[in-house]
Amino acid sequence: MLVRFWGTRGSLPVAPTADVIQKKIAHALVAADGRKFADEVEAEKFVETGLSFAAGGTYGGATPCVELEAGGSSYFICDMGSGLRQLGLDSMRRNAGGHPKIYNFFQSHLHWDHIMGFPFFVPAFDPEALIRIHSGHPDAEEALRRQQEEISFPVPFDWLRATFEFVTLTPGETYEIDGVTVETKLQHHSHGSYGYRFTDRDGRVAIYSTDSEHKLEKMAVEAAFIHFFRDADLVVCDTMYSLADSVSMKEDWGHSSNIVAVDLCHEAKAKTLALFHHEPTYDDEDIERMHQETVRYEELTRDGPPLDVICAYDGLEVRL
Amino acid sequence: MDYSFDERGDAMVVAIRGRVDEATWVAFGVGLSDGIEKAQQARLKRIIIDLAGLDYMSSRGLRVLTVAKREGQEAGVEVELAAPNEVMREILAISRYDKLFKITETVEAAP
Repeated sequence: MLVRFWGTRGSLPVAPTADVIQKKIAHALVAADGRKFADEVEAEKFVETGLSFAAGGTYGGATPCVELEAGGSSYFICDMGSGLRQLGLDSMRRNAGGHPKIYNFFQSHLHWDHIMGFPFFVPAFDPEALIRIHSGHPDAEEALRRQQEEISFPVPFDWLRATFEFVTLTPGETYEIDGVTVETKLQHHSHGSYGYRFTDRDGRVAIYSTDSEHKLEKMAVEAAFIHFFRDADLVVCDTMYSLADSVSMKEDWGHSSNIVAVDLCHEAKAKTLALFHHEPTYDDEDIERMHQETVRYEELTRDGPPLDVICAYDGLEVRL
Repeated sequence: MDYSFDERGDAMVVAIRGRVDEATWVAFGVGLSDGIEKAQQARLKRIIIDLAGLDYMSSRGLRVLTVAKREGQEAGVEVELAAPNEVMREILAISRYDKLFKITETVEAAP
């Protein structure tokens, strides 16, 4: 299974300013310390190996959109954040090469940051495309139509030419979709959110659990999340806030922390945790620091096999 | 994990020993609630959680600390932390819990 991240930022899209880019370039030039490069390939190699990820790159700023290549012929896509626009364009290229135009979406929920990419999803205009939207919410169609009403967007939903199917999934049920076993779980978030467990034909398991708050008064039921995450090859988890923020000023904001994510994955004996749904006010250095601290926390609290802690960024691909 | 109580000056000291993790967090919470109740009965204004004997605490334990802080606020008892070891010091910093609680190097240093 291949997991491809098209959007990893929470709440709203962000983009670096000219000032931020200039500082990165200045930092890189100082780090190069007068070194000469034969060409751009050599210079890119230096950036890749000689600079930290935050210094030489960026975690990106598109809102959630994660693709799974799970062995079937259709596209599997978690959420329609602004990252969906780029995925849509890339899928047109793959479709030209013969990829079936079947899109299976799995919505965690219907908040704006998780559906805002859909009006820019070019395959929706293709009359040969089949777009199937799976959601724990029965009002997914209403949410998508509403965001394309004239007061908000100039192109109404009814102008889209693809064939649409809206499928409501039930937590606790098991679904077989294009060769992948799919399960969903209700999570705590405003208007509810849903996590997904995907198992491919080879038994590889990916979990998508975002916009899920683990409440203080509900710690006793976290066993259900440990069971849902059990033995997963990859857990994509909402790690938007510090633990302190999530229990104080940002309590009831519907998100979780890196600390809780590590503990749940340790208990579930998951192999890899991808930090996800990054706080939009964090710059690249903040996210990198959070990643390093989470790796250290995992080392300090490990009581079994190590959990690989990675930090999702726009463009990351993880092969399970 | 076990704990003990000791009244010292204007504080109830709750000394924790062992680990607070998925197996022991409930007992930890019970211990802190007991400590707050004892402090309230003795008309003490604070409890100091002595972490010197604590190996480490998971997020469950940290969140139990927040529950205790709230219980303490309702009871008029402040909850403070003291004597974290190196591991706990790092965990408190990584979780940013060092911003939520007053932490002293030793129980004696807590004013």
